[in-house]
Amino acid sequence: MINVEDLTVRLGTKTVLKDISVEIEDGKWTCLVGPNGAGKTTFLKALLGSQPYSGSITDNNIEVFRNHDRNVAFVPQHPQIPTGMSVSEYVMLGRSKRDGWGNESATSRSLVAEILKLTGLFGMQNQFVSQLSGGEMQRALIARALVQEPTLILLDEPTSALDLHHQIAVLNNIELLKERGVTIISTMHDITLAAMYAENIIVMQEGAVLLNGSSQSVIHSPELKSAFENRINVYTLESGRPVIVAKKEA
Amino acid sequence: MKSASNEGGLSPIWNWKITALSFALLFFVGILAISFGPVSLDFSKIIKSLFGLPGGLTGQERTLLIDLRLPRALLAALVGAALATSGAVYQTVFRNPLADPYLLGAAAGAGLGATIAITSAGADLYSLLPIFSFFGAILAVLTSFFISGKFFAEPNSLLLSGIAVGSFATAVQTYLQQRNSSSLRPVYSWILGELTVANWQIVTWSSIYIFIALIILITVSKQLDGLMLTDEEAYSLGINPNKLRVIAVVAATLATATAVSASGLIGFVGIVVPHLVRGITHRVTNRGLLTIALVGASFLVLADLGARTLLSPAELPIGVITAFVGAPFFLVVLRKKRLVNQ
Repeated sequence: MINVEDLTVRLGTKTVLKDISVEIEDGKWTCLVGPNGAGKTTFLKALLGSQPYSGSITDNNIEVFRNHDRNVAFVPQHPQIPTGMSVSEYVMLGRSKRDGWGNESATSRSLVAEILKLTGLFGMQNQFVSQLSGGEMQRALIARALVQEPTLILLDEPTSALDLHHQIAVLNNIELLKERGVTIISTMHDITLAAMYAENIIVMQEGAVLLNGSSQSVIHSPELKSAFENRINVYTLESGRPVIVAKKEA
Repeated sequence: MKSASNEGGLSPIWNWKITALSFALLFFVGILAISFGPVSLDFSKIIKSLFGLPGGLTGQERTLLIDLRLPRALLAALVGAALATSGAVYQTVFRNPLADPYLLGAAAGAGLGATIAITSAGADLYSLLPIFSFFGAILAVLTSFFISGKFFAEPNSLLLSGIAVGSFATAVQTYLQQRNSSSLRPVYSWILGELTVANWQIVTWSSIYIFIALIILITVSKQLDGLMLTDEEAYSLGINPNKLRVIAVVAATLATATAVSASGLIGFVGIVVPHLVRGITHRVTNRGLLTIALVGASFLVLADLGARTLLSPAELPIGVITAFVGAPFFLVVLRKKRLVNQ
């Protein structure tokens, strides 16, 4: 259980996160949802330990994230793509924390080969990452996160800027992570997609937590409608899946 | 090391054979440099006198070798290694393939220091020129650091303040030069770079600083690959990017300032050599930093050989040779890069 208490982040004079207190379940997928500027990415950075904060983020009562003691994988929305680095080297970076930078153990090499096959990148391993398409790059990022064998993985908008075909592929890849017992926290714009895949949803607004709970309870709560100023409709499909669509302005 | 085809087709990240080859290159070029010149020294004689065998060098040849050629070749190697390595490191830290070791004001600061030493002829500071230019370079880079402030958030702000500090130092330097027009020639020849002043004293002190800087940079070189990613990714992979950037920039600046004060401004080495090694090996990764250092050393030893012999007995400034090779090469790199990106 990851316990966030009174998490506050100030950037200059602006308070980006205000007294956030939530619990995040182990081995589950939790989705941070909310409009731009709600503080979702900052929340992820605080969990990663790259963003200084006040308050505490503990895992089983131990403050760990500030010191980078946990193996936390991070999949950015806009990765900085290195030139002159092959796909296998790029994925191998995920082993750096375990093997030490620049070292490659035999275990790591076979794991990387296995994960490349799993993510459908095998055969491209000697291509440069800079030559990959958007969807392939996303898979390379997921592959790197997988070989990291993390206890927690943070994904910043993993499906934005992808077409539907690739969205499905990426979401299925994230499911792969979950099958391995990894705790997943992601931000996502698309609340329907979030409800479909994630077990828990945290709705954020202006740096604070508005709603927090299981996907079903959050989707059907009246507060969600008020958060979107009553401009959404929630429908339930025959399968029981909820769909959230914008109301057409009259 | 296993071959590329093994282990599921993963190719090795860096091939030690390339490093071994560049060691051999430096050795070969070094021998050329101490053998050739206005007076050629027979290499078999050099070996013989080294082992105290009969048939070695004459006393005069010995003096030529030990007091002139050897320190000069060593200084060229040290300066070449320092500039090439710093260039490669700056290019990674600033995520800019055109970054150059002189970028943060080191060149202009050193130039100002040298000009002060040369123009204050009355006080006879000329012998202190290396010290003046060393502190000029360090002071300029520190000022850039101080002004930028936001370095941790945005490396480019350091780049910009480096440019501002550089322009200011150059302006002061030009003013001093105009007031002392007799200083124009020595300042100009210093700016073009010169290794003619090489002696054992300069070799000794510059090797200390350059070796310290190179050891630091090669130690962190593997982690430098992490700076090619976003800061969040670096954190997640176990690196503190801000700390690493400071270590890398400080060490690279120490190497650059030492090189500049020992030999003047030798342009293009810091850009040409890293790109040459990366172009040949198709690897941008910093694991090749040692190779870049060795090739940089070889490049400058060879350039100095050209400077000494092309117009022999007259000497060309070494900066002319490096720019002569560097500028066209640079255009080729740019063109190739554009083709790759298309």
